[in-house]
Parts: sequence; C-alpha cells; structure tokens
Amino acid sequence: MSPQRFLSKSESQVPMTAQALVAHVLESGDFYAAVAVHGIADARQRQRLEERLFGSRRDVLMLARWEHTPANVLDALSRLEHMPLARRVVKHRNTGGSTLKHQFSQSDDPALTGLLALHANTPAPLLLQIAMGDHDQVVLKGLARNPSAQPEVLRLLAQRFPRRFDKEIASHTAVPADLLGTLYHRGDKFVRAAVLAHKQVPEAVLLQAAKSTDTLILRALVKHPLLPAALVDALSQHKDNAIRAALATRTDLPVHLSARLALDESDSVRRAVACRADLSPALMQMLAEDHDPWVRQWLGRNAMAGKHVLQKLALDIHEDVRRAVARNPNCPITLLEKLASDHRSWVRAAVAYQPNVTSCLMASLARDSAVDVLSGVAANPHTAPALLKRLVFSEELDVRRGVILNPAAGPDILLPLLQDPYYLHRVMLASGPKLSDQDKWQLRDDPDPRVRFALFQWLAARALRPVADRYFYRRKA
Amino acid sequence: MNTILVVAEHRRGEVRPVTLELITAAQQLKTAADDRVLLAIMGQEAESLASQLQWAGVDEIIACKTRSAEFEPELAEQAVSALIVSRKPIAVLLPHSVDSLGYATAVAVKGGYGYATDVFKLAYDGGALVATRGGYNQKVNVEVDFPGHACAVMTIRGGAFKPVETAAAPLLTVDDRSDLSARSRPLEFIEQGGGGDIDITTVEFIMSIGRGIGEEANVEDFRELADNIDATLCCSRPIADAGWLPKSRQVGQSGKVVSACKLYVAMGISGSIQHMAGMKHVSTIVAVNTDPGASIFTIAKYGIVADIFEIQDELQAQLA
Ligand SMILES: Cc1cc2nc3c(=O)[nH]c(=O)nc-3n(C[C@H](O)[C@H](O)[C@H](O)COP(=O)(O)OP(=O)(O)OC[C@H]3O[C@@H](n4cnc5c(N)ncnc54)[C@H](O)[C@@H]3O)c2cc1C
Repeated sequence: MSPQRFLSKSESQVPMTAQALVAHVLESGDFYAAVAVHGIADARQRQRLEERLFGSRRDVLMLARWEHTPANVLDALSRLEHMPLARRVVKHRNTGGSTLKHQFSQSDDPALTGLLALHANTPAPLLLQIAMGDHDQVVLKGLARNPSAQPEVLRLLAQRFPRRFDKEIASHTAVPADLLGTLYHRGDKFVRAAVLAHKQVPEAVLLQAAKSTDTLILRALVKHPLLPAALVDALSQHKDNAIRAALATRTDLPVHLSARLALDESDSVRRAVACRADLSPALMQMLAEDHDPWVRQWLGRNAMAGKHVLQKLALDIHEDVRRAVARNPNCPITLLEKLASDHRSWVRAAVAYQPNVTSCLMASLARDSAVDVLSGVAANPHTAPALLKRLVFSEELDVRRGVILNPAAGPDILLPLLQDPYYLHRVMLASGPKLSDQDKWQLRDDPDPRVRFALFQWLAARALRPVADRYFYRRKA
Repeated sequence: MNTILVVAEHRRGEVRPVTLELITAAQQLKTAADDRVLLAIMGQEAESLASQLQWAGVDEIIACKTRSAEFEPELAEQAVSALIVSRKPIAVLLPHSVDSLGYATAVAVKGGYGYATDVFKLAYDGGALVATRGGYNQKVNVEVDFPGHACAVMTIRGGAFKPVETAAAPLLTVDDRSDLSARSRPLEFIEQGGGGDIDITTVEFIMSIGRGIGEEANVEDFRELADNIDATLCCSRPIADAGWLPKSRQVGQSGKVVSACKLYVAMGISGSIQHMAGMKHVSTIVAVNTDPGASIFTIAKYGIVADIFEIQDELQAQLA
C-alpha cells in the first residue's frame, strides 16, 4: 500500500485547477500521472511534460502501444520527428481523427492506408478518398466493414466493384435502403439473406423474398417484423426446424399457432415457445413437464410463468432449471427462501443477485461460504449497509469487488477499500464517481502506476468541468 | 547412457493426465537404446499411486515416499534434488503447473542446473539439448540451451505433447524419503472453483463469452448453444463479475488458464492482455467480434467479423 507520509497542508489538498494539478505532477515527476494530465496542460507545461514523457526511446515506444495512452499524447507522439511511429499511432484505437488525417497526408506507406481503412476514428472524407482511389482488395474489404463508413462510401464500393464486397455492404448498419434493394437483386442467396436480416430492408424486397422456397432466405425472412401475415401460417408447417423455431419467437404469432408449436417434435421449437409471454396456464403446465431440460429452463426464466409452474420447476432435478427459477424476476419470496438453501451454490448465487430478497434472507446468504453466493450478496443493491461493511473485509477479492460494483455502496462503505491490496480495486475506486476527490487523493503516491494513472485521469477530467459543477461535486462528496 | 527424469503430478489420489504428456516428451529425448526414462512419484501413497503409472516408454518408476499425502513444495524440492544427485539425469521434466512453479526454480538454482519454463518443444542440436518456449508475450519462439550444465530442469507446457497411450509394466523401486521435513504442513484441501462446477482447466473445447453478450438473458442463449455443441461455456471477467456465470468459469489472469483447451471460440471478447493470459496458448482460437480492430484477432486462427447473435442464431438454426 501507499507509504504513509506526513502531509503538509498544501500537499494534502487536491489541486483545484488544471494548472495546479499539472504543476503538482511536474513536481512529482510521475510518468503515468504526466500521461494523464497532458491534455489539460497549457503550452508551457505541456512542453515540460513532453520532456518527461518522450525522454527515452523505450518510453516513447511503450506509450505508442499502451492501451490507455490518450489521443492528445498519441498526437504529440505522431509529431516526433526523430522517431517514425506512424504505423503504431495509426493502429492505436485511441488515436483521433485529426491525427489520422495528419498521418495520411504525411506518408505514402501503403500499409498505413489499410490501417486507416479499418480505424473507427478515420474522418469521413478520408474514408471516401480511400474508397475512391484505392485498389487493394484487402484494404477495401476492411473499409466495407468499418462501422464508421458512411453510406456514400458503401455506395461507391458497390459501384466500383459490383458483387465483390456485397456481403460486407449488406451487413453494414449504414447501408441505405435503396442500395439494399440493388444488392438483393444481384446477390446470391447469402447476400440476399444478409439483406433480409437488415433493419432497413425495403418492403418490396420482403414481398419478393416471400415467394422464395430457399430455406436460407426463409430463415432470414421469418425473423423480419414485417413478415406478410399470410406467410406466418404457412411457415408454421415448414419442414425446417429453424424456421419454425424462429417463428415461435414472433410476438405477433396467433395463439392457436403457439399452442401448435408447443407440441412440436423439435426441441428447439418448444424451447422458443417456452419463452413466450402469451402462453396459457395449461400450456405452461405442459411445458413444465417437457423431457428437454432447456424447455424447462426457458420456462423457468419466463416472467409470465405462474406460481405453480415455478414451484414445480424449483424442484427440478437439473440445477440449471432451479437456477432459472431463482433468476426469474417474479419468483415468489417463499420459493426464493427454499432455493437459498439449495445444495448447489450456483442456484444459491442466483438468489443472492435477486433484487426482491428480504434482508433476513440476505443475512443468511451472507453466511454462505461459496464465493459466487457472497459476490451476489456483495453486489446486490438491497443488501443492508451493515453487511456490506463486513464484506469489505472478506478474504475473497471477488467478494470485495462485488461491494465496489454495488450501485448502492456509498463512500462510508467503500473508503476502507482504498487500502485494498488488489490494485484493480484501487483503480476502480480512483476512476469511479463514488468517493470524493479528497478521499481519492491519498492514492496519488500509490505504488501501482495504473492506480496513479486512473486517479490523475479522473482529476484531469474533473478539471475540465465548469467550476460550479466541481464545487457541487466536492460538496456532494 | 543418458537418464531423463520425469516427475509425476497427482491430486487427491489421482495422477494428473499431464504426466502422460511428460512421458512422451521424455521419450523424444532418448537418443540411444540404453537411455533411460525414470518416472518419480512423490507422497505418502507413492507406492499405490505407482499403479496408475504403468505406461510404455518408462524404464523405472521411483515411488518416493514422503510424509505428506498431498503435494508439499518443500518436500518436493528436497526429494527431486536428492534424485538428481543420485540418478544424475541430463533433464528433469515437470508439468508447467502451479505445483511445479512452487519448487522447480529452487531446485534449479540451488543445484546450479539449467532451467526453462513453459517449454513446448524439445530437441537436440548437435548433441546439445535445446528447449523451445514462447517469448515476448508468445510473439516469438525462443530456443534455450544449457551450456555448462550437466542437468536441465524444465517445466513442460500442458497439451504440447501427446499423452502416452500404450500400457506396460515398468520396474518399480521404492525410495523412502519419510525423513524429509517441511516448515509448512497442509491443513485442509480446498477445492478450487464454484462448488463442484466443471474444472475448465481440463476441458478441450471452450466457448467463451464476453461483454458483447449485452445482457444476462442472452447468456442463456449461449449456454444452450454450448450445450448443443458439447462445448464448456466460459467467460471474460465482466461476465463473472456480474454474476452471470460462476467465477470458476472466468478465463484469464485473475481467472484460470485453460491449459487443456484445444479449441477456443471467443464470442464478443475484445482480447485484453488479462483475458489472453488465460487462453492465448490454445492452438485453435476462433474469434467473433463486430470490431475488426479487436485485439483478439491478433491471436485468432479464424477471425469472424460479425455479430455474435447472428452467428449464434445461424449455428442454432443449423443444429435445429
Ligand atoms: C488486474 C486485472 C486482472 C484482470 N483479470 C481478468 C481475467 O482474468 N479475465 C478477463 O477476461 N479479464 C480480466 N481483466 C479485465 C480485462 O482488462 C478486460 O476488462 C476484460 O477482459 C474485458 O472483457 P470483454 O472482452 O468481455 O469486454 P470488452 O473489452 O468490453 O469487449 C467486448 C467486445 O465485444 C465486442 N462486441 C460487442 N457487441 C458485439 C456483438 N453483438 N457481436 C460481436 N462482438 C461484439 C466489442 O467489439 C468488444 O470487442 C482484468 C483486469 C485487470 C486490471
């Protein structure tokens, strides 16, 4: 843990302004804190920070590939003249659009274009430029898959290379509806299935697909919300199990059809039926007797399952079925009480994560020895603060992390965890909103660099917030 | 004549399967007909455990009787050191396991022997023993030789050698080491893992889910899929932290290393260093991720840039 030092008054106060925070970091010489505050430093301070950060080749290379290096530091790295870092910088997922643009304009390295085509932050005009000019099929395929590619890029690729990237384009969220129509008409069955799976698929295409007899096409079609009603009935008798199973998941399925599918010979169809919200009590009773444990499991999780069905399933021989009941949002408290003493810890753990458990039951679960159960108690927002205060000192680090993850655990409970021997827990507290900046400030000399980075990153972000906001935050904390 | 010493590992009365892989590795180090493979087993019940070690390729089983029934690092260190002195092996092969890491380094350093860990290939180069292990986060293969050392102690990566399959009846000798003492003594055996849950370090086919799964209800879809394809469902840390799968199913630095796994299907897992620490050694990794830049693709043999739910749906449809 951090060495205990005698603190002078000024040292023990969190610096309130960006300038004071950076000044503190410059004085301490902490490398990781310097990375964290680089973005809020003024020009003169930034120069001094960069002297610290880029002093050795080893540090520079480390920063160029460290997953937490922020965009502003990557930008500064990309401008270092004595070290060619373009590929590393462009590969880094935090690199911002303007840095990527700068790299593109500075370099004629073809590998760089490939990386830019894949990067989520590459600016739109640059992606368009690549789509217009590049011929490399690997680069263009990457571009067609880039989630940031805009409709014009996809349209251009579809025009320049008909059919070559149709599957990728058809699966892209940004593809315009009219282009989907074109792709459907010229595509093979795989492209067509991808078009039908797309949210934007035009109705005309759906109607055309409805005439198909191809299983792959029908499997895609059957999931679409706008499936023509006439087809629903026909498809419920289709010989393909997957088609009937997909049909059984549709909310608009007429009741007589769900009753028929509940008797289907295929397990996968009955499993889908067991999840439905519109099952009659008789159907539920029947499915609760199903020979397939997965049917019973899905039924156990079904929020509409009645008390009697749940009672039966809570006695199931399969632990996963009993767990399903314990995870059911409407599981009655009497059943939860029974399941809390199940011989399998994974079932008891499900009870421990339930929001509607009584404090008495929670107290008994807190005496369990299984780590999954205790983690559930620790993470449950309904656990009494007194219990959480005890769990903070658990020997199991997963249990202590459960308390940190608990949305209801306040500063009085979490404070001792600032001394937790596991650095990850200190990182989580340093970068979370629950403790006051003043409390967190004790981590500034933490032996673990990741903890210090998390703390200074948090404080740097706070320094950018308007003053009134900060004042409010300090008072609240 | 060269001697190769293999140290068997056992837990709760069962010889661990990795021992059979070490026998194959030892056989590969035999260069002359009269080279000998010795297989040592330590513990209070060493003699009866030896009945589980009747495998071809072993010339002699040494039942090394110590005072502790379960593994005890100090006793193991002393017993193996004594065996090296008395039997003069050129190589000592131990599993790359938590047990071995508790004493192998001490044996090597105290005896002044060569030492290499996590070895996955063994060969001779002009008469010199060469062990291959990963370096720089498994990005390069490093060949290690042991100049000036009469003996090299090596921990062998699980799954790197085929387990021996043919039975035989090797000679058995008993080596009484019950005079050895340790400063610590085991009090209680605590089973690791989630109360009788499957031990994910021993399974060969894993499907693992990450934060891409979105919400708890979806976990069940993947459990069903895993069930249908006979895979064991594991996860990244956020999933275990949320209580969606038991802690014993977490793969990675603070979870488990899936040492016996041969096929790992990563669904919606980004591939953090901490997660990869538990699975990057797997020979066939299939990754499904919507982000083409996800780190998991750097170690995957097959990468699928796609939505995991589409893949799950499609697989379920094929299986329906
Ligand atoms: C000390 C320490 C120890 C740790 N130990 C471990 C450990 O043992 N094991 C471990 O796993 N982690 C561990 N971690 C946490 C680790 O750093 C990562 O946070 C964690 O592995 C991320 O899990 P993930 O890949 O599931 O989530 P994320 O990193 O959030 O990745 C989710 C991925 O899913 C993809 N995705 C999203 N939706 C979809 C979709 N519909 N289809 C396909 N893909 C999709 C995203 O593109 C993303 O790549 C540890 C961390 C620390 C600091």
